[in-house]
Amino acid sequence: MLKDHVKLAVKNLRHRMSRSLLTLLGIAIGIMAIISLMALGEGMQQAVTGELSSLSDVIIVSTGGDIMSSFGGGGGGSTSEYFTERDIADIERIQGVKDVSTQLSGSALAEYNGKATIVALTGMDIEVMRLQYASQSLHAGAFLNDGDQNKIMIGYGIAHDTFDADIPVGGRIKFNGEKFFVTGIFGKQGMGGVSSDSIVLMSTRDFKALTGQNNMSMVYLRVFNVNDAESIALNIEEAINENHGRKDFATATTMTSILETVQTILTLVQLVLIAIASIALVVASIGIMNTMMTSVMERTREIGIMKAIGATNKDIMSIFIIEGMLVSTIGGIFGIIMGVFGSQALSLILSSFFSSMSGTQLVPIITLMSVVLAVAVSLIVGVLSSLYPAWKAARMSPIEAVRYE
Amino acid sequence: MIKDVIVTQNISKTYGKPPLQVYALRETNLRIKQGDYIAIIGPSGSGKSTLMNLLGCLDKPTDGNILIEDMDVSTLNENKLAQIRREKIGFIFQKYNLIPTLNALENVELAMGFAGVDTKTRTERAKQLLEMVDLTKRITHKPSEMSGGEQQRVAIARALANNPSIILADEPTGNVDSKSGDNIMRILEDVNKKGETIIVVTHNMAIAQRAKRILRIQDGEVREEHA
Repeated sequence: MLKDHVKLAVKNLRHRMSRSLLTLLGIAIGIMAIISLMALGEGMQQAVTGELSSLSDVIIVSTGGDIMSSFGGGGGGSTSEYFTERDIADIERIQGVKDVSTQLSGSALAEYNGKATIVALTGMDIEVMRLQYASQSLHAGAFLNDGDQNKIMIGYGIAHDTFDADIPVGGRIKFNGEKFFVTGIFGKQGMGGVSSDSIVLMSTRDFKALTGQNNMSMVYLRVFNVNDAESIALNIEEAINENHGRKDFATATTMTSILETVQTILTLVQLVLIAIASIALVVASIGIMNTMMTSVMERTREIGIMKAIGATNKDIMSIFIIEGMLVSTIGGIFGIIMGVFGSQALSLILSSFFSSMSGTQLVPIITLMSVVLAVAVSLIVGVLSSLYPAWKAARMSPIEAVRYE
Repeated sequence: MIKDVIVTQNISKTYGKPPLQVYALRETNLRIKQGDYIAIIGPSGSGKSTLMNLLGCLDKPTDGNILIEDMDVSTLNENKLAQIRREKIGFIFQKYNLIPTLNALENVELAMGFAGVDTKTRTERAKQLLEMVDLTKRITHKPSEMSGGEQQRVAIARALANNPSIILADEPTGNVDSKSGDNIMRILEDVNKKGETIIVVTHNMAIAQRAKRILRIQDGEVREEHA
């Protein structure tokens, strides 16, 4: 019997081919949106997670509030509280700490092409610098190397918007009268407080030699065992807070906890993406319902005939629901195929948009889960949106239906 | 003794509520025997269609009982009525009412499909029936590719598909030319000769005269006329 219903449904769909195809297209686009946005979300998740987990043995200690406000950005120039030598010594003494390096913050009078202005300076070990800025793309030039002297890396804003003339790689800037050469310029970051556009990076040694200051705004350290990171972070906070007699002086953040935060945010982003895609799906499902309603109206007479020759209400409902399911499932399958290509296209577009911002390529990842979800969703959409039209068809009185002109 | 196929006991059909009640059919008692060939005549609005719908289990009477092969169908639910329709009754409509997306063979098979007949038996029987109405060459044609007379013959084949006890034909010749109409009536009469009960609703006295019994309806009341 079910086979007959399917056959009838297929014949009806083929009879109204162009309409069926258009309805099907609606679902396909909805599913495509879901598949490709999920793939992008997944790709984003994995890219960020992969990058961060390579740093999982790192702990960052900063003064004051949350690490996220200064991480990856301006180098903590805003903070006015600094760690002391005693803090560093205490950190080094804690069991399980492999090595410790500090980030120094200060400012200097910069001079280029006859114009002078005060800029914020950040000094850190080259190795740490490479780790921290690994995800940032270079606009021009190269990273600093160990042992480089009087060489700096600068943000896009310093290179192009601070002085009257653009600063090229190899350009010479005077800080407090001392000459420094630019080896690399970071890509443009754009808006936001976490921008590295106005950064000037140099080695710890150069920083100390230039400013004579030792303002440690951040401490980077690595641990031997990743699993100990959390407890070590707690020990560090305790030790430093005790030194300063305050409970909230230092915040030690492990990469694991950053990872968790980032993952939570990304999951949220993914959910938002899916929610947006779902709108397309809702519209498509209304499309199915609309087409089915029209179909029921048009076939009023046919429904009456089928009832007169013995079809039960169940038979009629089944025929219409199968029709809806066929449209949505076939649409869903097309949507998945389109989603595979669509996600590639989207990632290409996004990559070319943001290539200056981040060196990471966004590779869409289509998971089995998302495919299964797409098929399930399209089936459910098919059933739900044809339920009402089918019910309407089934409860039609055969007498009136047969007489319907 | 010949058994009764349909017995109606005081059936009435009313629309609306008192005092605005309208009688479409009044306390009608009929006894239709197996093998009967009955014509129902009457002007439009007289209650012909109401009677047809009641006899065909498309509708339920407001009062009274209808027995089809001794089973009281006036109290059955919709699913049971659908079962009676597909097992005991074959419909022929004035406008053929074939399913436009299905070809002749599939249209005949459809009725058997609802009755749960297996595919092989279905196809065989549908082919036999179409052969009987002389449409062997048209089995793959869709309704839109056939003439009115041909479509009505497919409809007759469909009506016979599940071996019903009664054939109800509502103006079967109303939409075809007189030659095709004659052809259709002859097929129905052949079927009747094989023992099938036929009830024909018609305006056409010439058609009615061919029946064994004539029932005339006027204002919801049924009278037997001499045939």
